[in-house]
Amino acid sequence: MKEPKIIEYDALVIGAGIAGGETALNLANTGYKVLLVEKDHSLGGKMILLSKVFPTLDCAACITTPKVSEIARHKNITVFTESEVTNISKESANNFVAQITKKPRYVHVDDCTACQLCEQACPVSVQDEYQYGLIGRKAAYIPFSIANPKAAVIDIENCTLCGACERVCPTQCIDFTMETEYYELHTKTVVLATGFTLFDPIEIPRYGYGRYKNVITSMQMEREIAPTRPYNTILRPGDGKVPDRIAYVLCAGSRDNTVGNPNCSQICCMYSIKQAQLLMGALPMADITIYYINIRSFGKGFEEFYQQAKSMGVEFVKGKIGEITEKDNGDLILRYEDINEGVVKEAEHDMAVLSVGVRSNPTIGKIFNNGALKFDPLNFVAQEDLMGSPSKTSIKGVFVAGTATGPMDIPDSILSAGSAASEAISYLTQHQEV
Amino acid sequence: MKERIGVYICHCGGNISDYVDVEKVRQAVQDDEGVVLAKTTVFACSDSNQTDMVNDIKEHNLDGVIVSSCSPKLHLTTFRDVTERGELNKYTYVHANIREQVSWAHSDDKIGATEKAIHVVKAAIAKSRYAKPLYPNQFEAEKTIAVIGAGIAGLKAAISLSDKNSNVVLIEKENRVGGHTATWGSLFMTDERGSELIDRIYSDLSQRENVFILTGSEVISSKGSIGNFTLKIRKKPQIAGDPVETMEINVGSIVVATGFEHYSPEEGEFAFAQNEAVITLPNFKQLVDESSGKVLEYNGKKIKNIAYVYCVGSRQTEGENKYCSRYCCTSVIHTAIETKKKFKGIQNIHLNRGIRTYGKQELLYAESLQMGDLYLQFNDDTPPEIRNEGKKTVVTVKDILSAGRELEMEVDLVVLVTGMVPRKDQSIGKMLKLPKGRDKFYNEVHMKLRPVETVIDGITIAGTCQGPKNISESVNSALSAATKSFSYVSKGTLETEPIVAEVDHEVCSWCGKCAEACPFDAIEKQEVNGKEVAVINTSVCKGCGMCTPVCPVDAIDLIGYTSEEMKSMIEVLA
Repeated sequence: MKEPKIIEYDALVIGAGIAGGETALNLANTGYKVLLVEKDHSLGGKMILLSKVFPTLDCAACITTPKVSEIARHKNITVFTESEVTNISKESANNFVAQITKKPRYVHVDDCTACQLCEQACPVSVQDEYQYGLIGRKAAYIPFSIANPKAAVIDIENCTLCGACERVCPTQCIDFTMETEYYELHTKTVVLATGFTLFDPIEIPRYGYGRYKNVITSMQMEREIAPTRPYNTILRPGDGKVPDRIAYVLCAGSRDNTVGNPNCSQICCMYSIKQAQLLMGALPMADITIYYINIRSFGKGFEEFYQQAKSMGVEFVKGKIGEITEKDNGDLILRYEDINEGVVKEAEHDMAVLSVGVRSNPTIGKIFNNGALKFDPLNFVAQEDLMGSPSKTSIKGVFVAGTATGPMDIPDSILSAGSAASEAISYLTQHQEV
Repeated sequence: MKERIGVYICHCGGNISDYVDVEKVRQAVQDDEGVVLAKTTVFACSDSNQTDMVNDIKEHNLDGVIVSSCSPKLHLTTFRDVTERGELNKYTYVHANIREQVSWAHSDDKIGATEKAIHVVKAAIAKSRYAKPLYPNQFEAEKTIAVIGAGIAGLKAAISLSDKNSNVVLIEKENRVGGHTATWGSLFMTDERGSELIDRIYSDLSQRENVFILTGSEVISSKGSIGNFTLKIRKKPQIAGDPVETMEINVGSIVVATGFEHYSPEEGEFAFAQNEAVITLPNFKQLVDESSGKVLEYNGKKIKNIAYVYCVGSRQTEGENKYCSRYCCTSVIHTAIETKKKFKGIQNIHLNRGIRTYGKQELLYAESLQMGDLYLQFNDDTPPEIRNEGKKTVVTVKDILSAGRELEMEVDLVVLVTGMVPRKDQSIGKMLKLPKGRDKFYNEVHMKLRPVETVIDGITIAGTCQGPKNISESVNSALSAATKSFSYVSKGTLETEPIVAEVDHEVCSWCGKCAEACPFDAIEKQEVNGKEVAVINTSVCKGCGMCTPVCPVDAIDLIGYTSEEMKSMIEVLA
C-alpha cells in the first residue's frame, strides 16, 4: 500500500445521495470546506434514478440534477467518487482522522466528453445495475445519461483488456495504468449519509422473484417509467408484452418477522400509489391492483394523493399476497386473503411488482474504532437523542442524515439533512480552533 | 436590442415532449429575428446541458438566453446562474414556462399544446430582445433572528441559532415555554416525559447570553422585509394592574413555529359533549398520566374497557381536514400500552381506519397486538356508533377485519383519537402574508427543493405550523429552518432582486393609488424637488407589478418587465 496523501477539510460527508448532497450544500453555503465521499460512480444516490416523486409528481431528475450540478460545481465542496471511508478515529474533539480509498475509474474524468465511442467499441455485455438488470450495458460505459460526473467508467472486473475502447477514444482519456489512491483526511466533523439498501425479494421464495420473469421489484418498475427508461415503454420482461393487468404486492420484506424485518418501510405504500398513477397515464387501458395490509399515506398531501389514485380507478384490495405461481404463458396467479370478504381468493395478472422495503446499509458498521458508533437492532445508526436532537449519534461530532437512521421518504430525508447540517455547523462554531 | 439570442427547448424527459412537439417548436422559432441558435434538450437543467449552454454562449457570442421548460419557480435561478457563468448579465435571461402552463395544462390536446408552446416561446424571444442588464440591490442586514413560538420546534430553532453565535429573540404568547410537548407524559419511542424533554432543552437555552426569551408576548405588527424586519411586540402584564408593555425589535429573519391545535370535536360528533364517557386523546393522555392507583378511574367510575375511535377530525371525506394527522396512530397505541401496563384489567379496543405506525413505530403496534389489544377496522362511510343504554355506553361497529360483521360492545370509556388542525388564531400568518396550503397549514415553497422557506423572503417555517409532525420530525424541520434563516443574514449584507417598480418623478403627481394597490407597503409619499411624489422602498418591493396598471398617468414601470417588453410580448401572442 502506498503512503496516503494527507488532506484536510472542515467536514466529511459520507454518501452523496439526496441527504448527503443536501448536507454538503448547507455546510458549504455557510462557508465550510466539505469533502463529499461517494462509493458509486455518480452523485445523486437512488433519487436520481427515480421516475417522478410523490405527492407532487415532480420528475425526480428535475429536482436532483440541478442539486447535483450545484454540488459538483460548488467551490467549497470536493467530491470523491468511487471512494470508500475505511476507518475513522477520533483524536480529539474536533480532530477526526479518516482513511479513504479511491478506486481507479480508468478514465480521466476531466478529459472525457461522454461521446460514448468507447461504449460502442466495447465487446463485453453485462447486466446494467443502474437499470436494475432490465437491460445490459458494456464494460466501458457511461453509468446513465444524467450521471454526474458524466464520464465513462471501465468496469475492470468484466473488462477483457482488449483495448478497443482505448483505440477509439478521441481524447485519450482512458488510462489502464490508474491505481487505487489512498488518502488520510483530517477533519473536524463527520456526517453519515450512507442511505439504505433495498430488500432483496429472493429471500421470499413463495413470491417467485428470480424464477418468474414477470415478477419484478418496484425499483425495476421505477426504471421502466423513468424518463431515462430502458425500453421507452412499459413491458413485462418475460416476453416483452405490454401488460394489461399489473399487481402491486405491498409489504414485500417489511412488517415481516419471517425475513427479520418487523419495521414498516414507510415509503412503499406511497411509491406504489405513485407508480400506479403514472402507469394509468402511460397505459390508460391497464388495470392496476394494489394488494395491501394498511395504506400508510401519512405525510403532507399523501392522503389526498391516495384518494386521487382511488378516484382514478386504481383498485385497492386489502389482503396480503400469500403466494405467486406462474402459468405457462407467463401470466401470474396471486393467492391472497380478501380481508373485506373474509375468503381466500386467486387473481390473474400479467405482471407483479413487489413493493420492496428499506434495509440498513451495512457498510458503515466497522469504520469507527472500538465499536464507538452505536446501531439499533436492525443495524440502522442509533439516534442518541431521538426527540431532542435526532441527528446526533453516539459519537460527539459525528452526525447522521437521511435513511441511515431508518426508513424515510424524500421530504423527511431532506429535513433530516438540514438538521444534521445544522448540528454540524453548530459543532464547528463551538469547536473552533483553540 | 439583443441580436444574438440562444433558445433551448426542454423535453423535461417526457413531461413536456409527451404532449408538445418540441422539434416543431424549435423549427417555428429558429428563424425569428435575433435568434441565432435553437436547440432541444432532454433535460435542460442537467449538468451536461448547463455546460453546453455556457460553451454555446461563448462560442456563438450570444447576448440573450431563453430556456423553455418548467415553471420559473423551479429553475429560474438555475438558468440565471448558467447565463452568469457564460459571462452575461444574469437578468438578461428570459424563462418560458411550457410545462405547468402548456404541456401539463393541455395534455388532452397535443396540437393545441404545441401551438401554444410556440407562442409562449416567441413571446419570450420578444421580451429577450429588450432585456437590459440589471444589478442587484445590496444592503446591510440585521443579524438578529426572531423565532415566533416556543414549543419544541421554536426552542430547538433558538438553540440551533444560538449555537451558531447568532442573537435570537424567542417570542411566546403563553406565559410558559414548551407548547404541547410540555403537557405530555411519556413520549412514544423514547418513553421520556414531554415535560422532562422541555426542561432539559429550556435549562440549556435559558443560560445563553445571546438568547432573549419573551413569554406572555405577542407580535402585533410587522414591517419591512428580509434583512430588516421591525416587529412590534406586546407583553402582557405579569401582575394584574401593571401597564401593558410594547416594544419594537429589529431582526433580519423570522422563524415561524406557531404549532398546531388539537382537533376539537363538534357537540354530538361520536356523542362528544353528550355522553360524559367520551373524551379526546389529549384529555385521555392527561388522565392516564395523572392517575395513580391500581385501577384507572374517570369521573369516579372504574375504567376497564376502552374503545379508541381513530381519525376523528382527520382523513375526512366530507368538508375540511382531508389530510392524515400522522402522529395519532402511534400516539394512541403508545398510550394504550402505557395504560395497560399501569392499571389492572384494561382491555383496549382500537376502532381504526388502517393503522399507520410507519417506520420503526410499527414495533409499538406489534407490541400492543402481543399484549392482546383488539383491532377492529371500519370503512370511512360506516363510522362506529356510540349510544347510551341507561348508564351504559355501547359502541357498534361494522368490522371489515371480520368480513363486515356488525359488532356491539359495552365500554367504560370512548377515546376520540383527535388529530392536528391549524391554529385558529391566524394573525401571525396574516401579518407576515404567509401562504397556506389546501390543508390550511402554512405552505413551503417546494416540498423537496425549499422545504422550510416561504414565498416571503427571510421567513422560514418550522414544526407543525407547516403540517402534522411528530416531535423528532418537528425538531428536524426546526433545525433546517434555523439554518436557512441563519444563512440569509449571517454575512451581514444581503442582495435583493433588481426587479422592482420605478417611478418617473417628472410625471408622478401623487394620487396614492399605487400605494393603495401595493401589498407590501413599499410605496410612500415623499417630497422630491419640492413636489409630492411616490417613492419605492426597493428593499421591500417584490416587483409584483400591482402598482403599474393603477397609475392614471403611467408614471410607474417595473424594471425587468417594462411596458416596452410587455407590449412586445403581447404583440406576438395576439
